[in-house]
Amino acid sequence: MADADADADVWDVTIEIPAEADIEGAGETHTIRVGSDEYILAAAREQGLWVPADCQQGWCIACAATIVEGDVDHSDAKRYYSEDAEADFALICTAKPRSDVTLEVGKYEELLRHRADTDRPPGRSKL
Amino acid sequence: MSDRKQHAAGSVEPGDTSKRVGAEVIRERGCDPEELREKLVDAVGAEFTTYYYYTNLRMHLAGEEDYKEITEDARLEDRAHFELVVPRIYELEGSLPNDIRDFADRASCPDAEVPTPMDDDGCLDTSELEVEDILEVLLEAERCAIRTWSEICDMTRGADPRTYDMAQRILNEEMDHEAWFIELLSKERDGEINPAGHFARGEPGDAPYTKNTPFNDSA
Repeated sequence: MADADADADVWDVTIEIPAEADIEGAGETHTIRVGSDEYILAAAREQGLWVPADCQQGWCIACAATIVEGDVDHSDAKRYYSEDAEADFALICTAKPRSDVTLEVGKYEELLRHRADTDRPPGRSKL
Repeated sequence: MSDRKQHAAGSVEPGDTSKRVGAEVIRERGCDPEELREKLVDAVGAEFTTYYYYTNLRMHLAGEEDYKEITEDARLEDRAHFELVVPRIYELEGSLPNDIRDFADRASCPDAEVPTPMDDDGCLDTSELEVEDILEVLLEAERCAIRTWSEICDMTRGADPRTYDMAQRILNEEMDHEAWFIELLSKERDGEINPAGHFARGEPGDAPYTKNTPFNDSA
């Protein structure tokens, strides 16, 4: 769909919960409908899928996920770096879909290490 | 039948000072005390940075004495939250980072900076700074704190009554703060009456929930 219609778009967001994740529903995959003006985390929780998060302002990285496929907008995140985007990480608390998206959640530890490797906070302050 | 009393022994050997029963009982009830204490460090990091940033936000509410007073209450109470929980981190065998930059980096909530760019002289450019912008920063900082302490309540409920008690006390005050800033922002930005339901503290930063049973005399 055209970008000009972004506000009106609703996308399929598929959330994969790794079997080894310490998250309710580990091993399951859920697809939810998320509007272009909605945050993925809030939409998931509204639709009965409880995904971990803390600050919900795109800062603390508790909600970290990896993008398997698709595009998201992180312009509302308080601390999201180009290195995160290059490594396909997402902060779903402040991520809005810009296409159908597939995400794998429960990636806090991975993003923390990535932040440390790229000298970005909170990386080394917590490792 | 044994004469041993039910709680006279456990996983910590008598005389062993390398472990704490106060931590092991939390683990036995399904909460990881090491994970918890690190989350507490992040949470008090946010309280401490908020205390700092609110100082600057309050300064820039120039001429708005009522807003400044409310912000001062929230600022001092956030410091009280820091003071309340820090001893608990050490009880759980944690510690504060030696480098304050690390402490700020790992704070669980965003820096609550004055919402205006720097000018060419490296000072805050206040030419277009609006009161409502400051109030929105304050409101979102409180909301982040509510989320953080709710998470800690979730982690500790039924497992660690000591930390839970602190977290729910702090949560009470953070919810007061959110209500204050919703009222002020609604009026300032939207011209709407949206009552908080309560008034400013009797004395600045009274902290009625978190200072009424201080953890130690420094709190």
